[in-house]
Amino acid sequence: MITQRRRHRRAASLLLIAAVMAALAGPTTRIAAHSPDPALGGDTFAQDGRLLYDWRSGAAPPAAMRTAINAAAADVGESRASRAATFAYDSNGGNPIGYGTGTCGVNGLACFTRDAPNGFTMWFREQGRVFDWGTLKWCQMYTDPPNGCYDVETIALDELGHVEGLGHHVNYSDDSDYTDAVVQTYSRTKPKEGYNMHVLGVCDIAQLQIRYDIPGASSKYSTCLDVATVMTLSRSAASVVYGGNVTFTATLRVVTDTAYGRLSDNPVSGRAVRLQRRPPGTTTWTNFATMTATSPTGSYVVSARLYSSAEFRAVFSTPTNEGLRGDGSPAVAVTVGSCTTAPCPLSTGR
Amino acid sequence: MVESRWFRRAGPAVAALAAVAVIASSTLGAPARTWVPDACSGAPRVGSSATGAWYRLDPFLDAGARVGQRLAVGRAGERGARQLDLDAESFAAGPVGGTILVGTDDGRRSRLSIVDVARACAWAVAESPVVIRTATLAPDGATLFEYRVDRQTRADLGLWQRPLDGSTPPSRVLSPMVADARFGPTWLTDLIWSDDGHALAVESCGEVACRVRVLDPVIGDVQLVSDPDLGDLVGVAGDRLVAHGACRGLPCPLVSVDLSDGSTTVLDHAAGQAVLSRDAEGRSVVIHEVGASGRTLRILSLDGQRTEALDGDPDGRRLVARPARSGGAAEIGPGWILFGPDGRLPVDGAIRPVLRHVPDGRTVPFDEVSR
Repeated sequence: MITQRRRHRRAASLLLIAAVMAALAGPTTRIAAHSPDPALGGDTFAQDGRLLYDWRSGAAPPAAMRTAINAAAADVGESRASRAATFAYDSNGGNPIGYGTGTCGVNGLACFTRDAPNGFTMWFREQGRVFDWGTLKWCQMYTDPPNGCYDVETIALDELGHVEGLGHHVNYSDDSDYTDAVVQTYSRTKPKEGYNMHVLGVCDIAQLQIRYDIPGASSKYSTCLDVATVMTLSRSAASVVYGGNVTFTATLRVVTDTAYGRLSDNPVSGRAVRLQRRPPGTTTWTNFATMTATSPTGSYVVSARLYSSAEFRAVFSTPTNEGLRGDGSPAVAVTVGSCTTAPCPLSTGR
Repeated sequence: MVESRWFRRAGPAVAALAAVAVIASSTLGAPARTWVPDACSGAPRVGSSATGAWYRLDPFLDAGARVGQRLAVGRAGERGARQLDLDAESFAAGPVGGTILVGTDDGRRSRLSIVDVARACAWAVAESPVVIRTATLAPDGATLFEYRVDRQTRADLGLWQRPLDGSTPPSRVLSPMVADARFGPTWLTDLIWSDDGHALAVESCGEVACRVRVLDPVIGDVQLVSDPDLGDLVGVAGDRLVAHGACRGLPCPLVSVDLSDGSTTVLDHAAGQAVLSRDAEGRSVVIHEVGASGRTLRILSLDGQRTEALDGDPDGRRLVARPARSGGAAEIGPGWILFGPDGRLPVDGAIRPVLRHVPDGRTVPFDEVSR
């Protein structure tokens, strides 16, 4: 797992910018494997917007498919991990979802149009449609779905991801990361792994976070990202008397970079930030205190009485459970005066 | 390969009767028959002028599953449409010279007929034990090109041609498409004639991306365009092929491929539906919706060098694209484009299609210009 995560991080580090460039250029731009899904051109919907759909008049999907499409809409809301738009059925929704021929062109299973921020349309091919390779089977149309069927909920989730603005994920050549994205060029059938994914994958979420932002400053960044952070540190006084109190304030933010889209310059709160110190003229840092999150968002604070001069820095270590890259602040020095009131220690090395 | 010689041997009258049977007998599980065309007399004839013939193909569903297809055919200026019931695996192509090529497969045999829309009759023109997935009539109306798959394995059997008069047996003109993991299994094969009718583009599409073989039927030359960034074809004109990108929806890039050197030009990064047409000088142009909304359109030269804005339909009709995208087609003159509700030809309803003349922007009801 760790090996896979490191591999993801390396790839993501190199390719995040490529993915964002692809977003600007449209889906024909080639990007290498395993980065955030490329982004489709065009605008996004409003952050946390609520897109209401209905069934196309005269071309409504059958009940089993409607249930699965509604489930996919709920999947978006539950797994978006971002401020991407959500979807819900409404009888006057205004964004029609149809079933049958539609205007999909050659596309195999389903298709969409997106006119962000105004709306979208979607079509699903009908059960029993005959292709060159054989006959389309939707799993939800069977009590006991046969092998070779396509899962409506997964395909609907893929299409809703497109509507949000996601392009097809670029997998490793061996497709070992197929389940890191629902939005895929090639759909899988039962019983292949990933044929029935009912949550967005980490690389789908990564691009949603880039385009729509994360829900809050303490929310986790997708592990398909490798977002650089920048830590700063200030102190309440540059010099204090022996035993004087100093307050250290750190700020942790995402690096300002257009490649990060809406994540750029985000404050990052709720993380583990440590204050480290070293005696002047030395190189080894030791942990000194754990800093506590405070306001404004992305700030961390700790106060301490100091008995010797030292350099300090705030450190955010690269976490293993999200796509942020750790950083350490530049060092700040605090000079502490000599002990003038007994009892004084023999050494003020601490 | 066992081919029925019955049609070639039989006289026109017998073939005509068979034509009725072809369509009428192949509707198991389909809805009640709505129209069985009379048998056309004489040898199949394809007219030479645009007549306003049109068709639209829709699945017929039973409990949400396709059990057949319903083909609506009509002519501009005529009230109502005739509706034929076809098998679940069926297609329509054209119109060419007032006729529509119809194929239907009952699970045992594929049968092709040519429906003369004006005369409301049909000729049976081919029958085969292998599955004829799709077919097209050459612009001269003399030759049929068929794309076939094996009935049991669904393996690609290539592209075949046969003279309409049955004078020679069918022969294969293109071998099966070679498998390529970048495209996956072939979902849909489509046959599109070039703007001038001299080349036939054979499009083999995977789930999203397409390959195209451009065939010169006279000398047999084949040019392969195999780029997984390309999706379905808009059209072929001169030495240019225009296609959408490999997208699952719209908007989608619109790409022009120079067939002389394989170079590509992105005509638009976020185009909606697109068609080929002609400008005032008679040059081939591509016309596409700007974005997915269809509110405005653009006219582009095929190399992307010249561009011009074009108003969308003020009443909200959308550009009617190729049959693969619109499920239908109409026979219209050069330089005209078609708008319909939701980008389709309506079988009925209050919103009638309109035609736009690209060179001067004139818009007229579909019925008016074609009569």
